Amino acid sequence: MAGFLFALPAIALVVGFIGVPIGQAVYYSFTEWNGLTSTWIGASAWTQAFHNSNLWTALQNNALLLLAVPFALGLPLLIAMLLHQRVVGWKIFRSIYFLPTAISWVVLGLVAERFFAYHGTLNSLIHAVGLSHVSTNMLGYESTALTALGITFVFTMIGTNTMLFLTGLATLDPSLEEAARIDGAGRWRIFRSITLPHLSRFIQLAFVMTVIALFSALFSLIFVMTGGGPGYATTTMEFLIYQTGFDQGAFGTAALYGIILFVLTAIVGVVQLRLIGSEE
Amino acid sequence: MTTLATPPHGPEVTPPEAPAGETPASDARRRPARVGRWVLFLVMVLIAIVMLYPFWVMIVTSLKSEAQFLSGGGFSWLSWKNLTATIPVGQEVLSSTIVCTASILIILAVGLPAGFAFAKLRFRASTVVFLIIVSAMMVPLQAILMPEFVNVTRLGLTGGYLGAIVVYAALGTPFSVFLFATYFRGVPDELIEAGIVDGLGYFGALWRLVVPIAIPAIATVTVLQFIQIWDDLLVGLLFIQNTSERPITVGLAVLAAGRTTSIPELMAGSLVSALPAMVVYLVFQRYLVKGLTMGIDR
Repeated sequence: MAGFLFALPAIALVVGFIGVPIGQAVYYSFTEWNGLTSTWIGASAWTQAFHNSNLWTALQNNALLLLAVPFALGLPLLIAMLLHQRVVGWKIFRSIYFLPTAISWVVLGLVAERFFAYHGTLNSLIHAVGLSHVSTNMLGYESTALTALGITFVFTMIGTNTMLFLTGLATLDPSLEEAARIDGAGRWRIFRSITLPHLSRFIQLAFVMTVIALFSALFSLIFVMTGGGPGYATTTMEFLIYQTGFDQGAFGTAALYGIILFVLTAIVGVVQLRLIGSEE
Repeated sequence: MTTLATPPHGPEVTPPEAPAGETPASDARRRPARVGRWVLFLVMVLIAIVMLYPFWVMIVTSLKSEAQFLSGGGFSWLSWKNLTATIPVGQEVLSSTIVCTASILIILAVGLPAGFAFAKLRFRASTVVFLIIVSAMMVPLQAILMPEFVNVTRLGLTGGYLGAIVVYAALGTPFSVFLFATYFRGVPDELIEAGIVDGLGYFGALWRLVVPIAIPAIATVTVLQFIQIWDDLLVGLLFIQNTSERPITVGLAVLAAGRTTSIPELMAGSLVSALPAMVVYLVFQRYLVKGLTMGIDR
């Protein structure tokens, strides 16, 4: 009984502020709700929502941003491999590479906006390599804003994922690689047959964390970089929920979108569990 | 553990097969390796430049006046002098500190006994309850944002700090329970049983025995949550309606979204906001790494 009492405050907090709202969100997704009064409109709330093109735009934006995930995993893997070579000063490099991890994505978004701006660093770089007639304004156009957001996302994930992979590499028994090298295996072969399999659990964890971040942590970046625009070009599910609820006051529809986001993240979680399960 | 017996592999230990008085052939074989290390070093410097870019932008831009920023050149302390007039950084840093401290204290006070209970004092259905709490880690706030906002408003907490503190505490609890439970599973049962036999009781054992043992786990939770809460926007933006109690991240984001504030001043404010989290991060780096990889067997 003491055990239950010890766990009770945590249970109460999680049930009260995470569990109950899930149930409420399901209920209110079938209503028209302005935060004060709600009217039940039933399943037609859902059919209406699926006829709303903004929902499909947001889902499409989320799907397109998934294309950033391989980069958000691949680059950190490469950087971790480089750090693992332990050249002179690698500890200082490690600290530098991880440093942006401490900074708010609000601040990183502000800096990214400067980078992509018409008078920003990107254009300076392009002009510096001699293409003085080319000028970009990636955040200003529907066709390129999402790409700019994706690039920023990859940058913001580098620190955390590099940290994960480096920790994984540190647990790798160096004598295994040594033995393979003596047996005449090339670098690529060693990477494919020894390093990568060893890192699989770390890669899975990084994959799940990256996808979850993609679905639920872009809010800060979008808020300061684009406000969801131009048009709806950078409106993801999480931002659509915020806009629908707090800009348009359609609490019921926003709750419904929340359920969709919940299901999407739950799918990622279940895939993760299956992956772990299949291994054991 | 063979890992412990193997020497750390670095540049000085890798070539044991090259003895003194080398032949020209072995020298030629080693030269590409040395060139390779230089290339590697240069690549790492390049990556370092990319990763330091945000800091460079913030520092350089903040050291310009608005006019200098628009024209491109020059140096001035003006943005720093005007900073507090544009952005109430003092008040906002204080707000951030209050919200962070209170939330973390609740997360620890609630998560530590729960983690201990799930690891050592199994009760009926404790495994199921534990799994439910841990899976709450995966629920993004946006998914439950509307009901959460209405509930906390109805409780009358969205004026000042309280609403944000409660929401941060609830969002941080699942992870801290998971981390503490994982940590306590590694502590021998006998240690705690001895304390209970000594007449400390469950609560006394928790306070006098378990808390001192758990210092590394407490540090990990504190550091991770500090950075998370300090850097967060959404909760502070919605659950603290009173603008004079805004945390610094929210203050910056709102000014930035308004697009009327001088960018050099915004960058100066950004630096101020980034500094505390960076210091915490650099000092407690190893706890952060530990927390991130918790749950993966090593």
